[in-house]
Amino acid sequence: MALVKVTDLVKRYTPDGANAVDGVSFEIQEGEIFSLLGPNGAGKTTAISMLSTLIKPTSGTATVNGYDVTTQSLEVRRSIGVVPQELAIYNELSAYENLRFWGEMQNLHGKPLEQEIEEKLALMGLTERAKDRVATFSGGMKRRLNLAVGLLGNPPLVMLDEPTVAIDPQSRRYILDWVKEMNRKGVSVLYTTHYMEEAQELSHRIGIIDQGKLIALGTLAELTQLVGQHETLVLKLGTELTPGSEDFVAKLKTLNTVSEASATDGEVVVNVPSAEAALPDIISIASGLGVSVRTIEIRELNLETVFLRLTGRALRD
Amino acid sequence: MRKLFTLIFKEVRVTFRDPGAVVLMLVVPLALTLAVSAAFGGGQVTIEALPVLVLNHDAGDIGGYLMTAFDSAAVEGMVNATLVEDERAARAAVESDAAVALVIIPPDFSEQVARAGDDQEAAAVTVDIYASPLRPIGVSVVRSIVVSFVERAGMTAQGVRLVLGDLVAAGHLAPDDTAGMTVVGERLGARVETLEMSGVRPAVEVISVTGRAFDWLNYFAPSMAILFLMFAATGGGRTLLAERQGGTLSRLLVSPTSATLILVGKMSGVAVAGLLQVAVLWGATSLTGADWGEPLPVLIALVLLVISATGLGAVIAAWARSEAQAGALGTTLVLAASALSGNFLPRMNLPIWVQTVSLAFPNGWGLELFTRIQAGATLAGVLPLLGWLALLTVIYYVIAAVGFRRQLV
Repeated sequence: MALVKVTDLVKRYTPDGANAVDGVSFEIQEGEIFSLLGPNGAGKTTAISMLSTLIKPTSGTATVNGYDVTTQSLEVRRSIGVVPQELAIYNELSAYENLRFWGEMQNLHGKPLEQEIEEKLALMGLTERAKDRVATFSGGMKRRLNLAVGLLGNPPLVMLDEPTVAIDPQSRRYILDWVKEMNRKGVSVLYTTHYMEEAQELSHRIGIIDQGKLIALGTLAELTQLVGQHETLVLKLGTELTPGSEDFVAKLKTLNTVSEASATDGEVVVNVPSAEAALPDIISIASGLGVSVRTIEIRELNLETVFLRLTGRALRD
Repeated sequence: MRKLFTLIFKEVRVTFRDPGAVVLMLVVPLALTLAVSAAFGGGQVTIEALPVLVLNHDAGDIGGYLMTAFDSAAVEGMVNATLVEDERAARAAVESDAAVALVIIPPDFSEQVARAGDDQEAAAVTVDIYASPLRPIGVSVVRSIVVSFVERAGMTAQGVRLVLGDLVAAGHLAPDDTAGMTVVGERLGARVETLEMSGVRPAVEVISVTGRAFDWLNYFAPSMAILFLMFAATGGGRTLLAERQGGTLSRLLVSPTSATLILVGKMSGVAVAGLLQVAVLWGATSLTGADWGEPLPVLIALVLLVISATGLGAVIAAWARSEAQAGALGTTLVLAASALSGNFLPRMNLPIWVQTVSLAFPNGWGLELFTRIQAGATLAGVLPLLGWLALLTVIYYVIAAVGFRRQLV
């Protein structure tokens, strides 16, 4: 059964403005981890804000756990936990006090609330620091507490909005492991990210969103099949991208042996049907333009490639 | 209801765990109250032997009688008036604080008084008082004495005119008998002079709003409490914007809790923190000798002031676009309101129009209330003021509600 059903959802913030979310449709099944993958500004946060009833859609419909997000917002909120991108906890309160406060906001009281608090503190490894003010916590600990608050009440659906942005690798690993653990216990997850590797690692299904539109939807295998049998070459250049480099990318795109090419952060990403066939041409053009290529990496098909193929841009452009 | 208390307790806890906020809410107002009262005498201001200089240029006799006003029984011991001839030296004495004021009687003072009250040409009687800015209370006393004397002299002149009119009407004097009128007028005036010289002196009342001597500690204890309550309450409203920017407001809004309850809980928490603040200040300053007045009207006034100040904070939070903007707006409003209301200087010394403008803010009503309560007004006596303050509070909350609806819907 579809826990979340989204049909032609649109959000426009100003009457004359562009649609931040533009006719998006998807479903999330019970027990599934569904990721919305897209670059910054793609509409991920807007989509999750509508599904969590923080903002109202301009048009379209969405239901969560059978409740309409517009007309039954209170019931929707009883069915979800939200882990926002910001650290939405009170620094002046202790970890225990934060969980108690947010638990009461989730209609938990008394012994069930105390048990929940104890459980979440233990799960997040914060039991020994329960009475300490959050202001004294490290960034990773605050992130874990932020996650714990979103899990209070064990909601059937948890929405995480880019929870690993700007955190250390250890904390990021912790969060990814806990998302998988939650899901093993039966919690469905809506996860937004612009990190391809997170979406690949976590998700049963992925929706690729760009400029408000859902441009692809499916399992990893289904998505990579969209781009056909292609390989990705990543050329690390010897110097900063110069004006000559833009010519380089433009000239690559004219080759028959090249499907797509784009440049970002000192790298040129090239999608080719066959690396063996394309490499000589690529090196020849680089040499002719005086572009120094330090390393060439051949990558397997991944979401980065899918995104590049579908949009003509790299995921982190 | 449970959630409302949860929101309130969270707000109070967060507020009082901020050391900076505690200093601003409690320590600073208490310290300022004690410092100001210590600087100005620490208690009652005693008015005695105020050194006053009188420079009499009057060509007539009436100016000379002003000296008797300073010697009257009503102000005996309060003023020590000296007749001087050297204006420059007299001004220097005022500037060096050797004298409270120099009263300069103009050359045509007697003529002005004689004309005063004349329906045909109602002219003002002008007396200049060159005053020391360091002694506002003393100057007020001197001014009161001078005004009272001029009024009495003018009334005497009016009386003589009336008697002459009656004599003409009764046929005892011909309307064109100028010589006869002069004789009668002089005899009547002489009679007044005689009365003056025989010791029937005009009573002079020292006008005081409180009806008793001004007390710096009693005035500044509630004044500083109100000032810093305003800072705390407007700051509390600003924290709503901080929650919006920090993400906790969004998290609250996606919990199964209505937006209305969230806002009411937030502002109630700010109000409860404010109540605790003023209660502590009331108690602490009372221990140091400040007399706020009868407890019941004080308590009700404080409760209403807290709710009103919180309302103003809500207005700022509802209409400001960012925490920084709310902070700037709140500080500006509080300082302006405080200056206009008399939080920094005794309110009764401010021009009436300034006092009127200050009634747009809780500070103005608060100081009006405490002035009257300290003068002995009962709860019934200050009910009208409380009513007006309540109306202002309602207006604040309506404006805030419109703004919040615009933000959150």
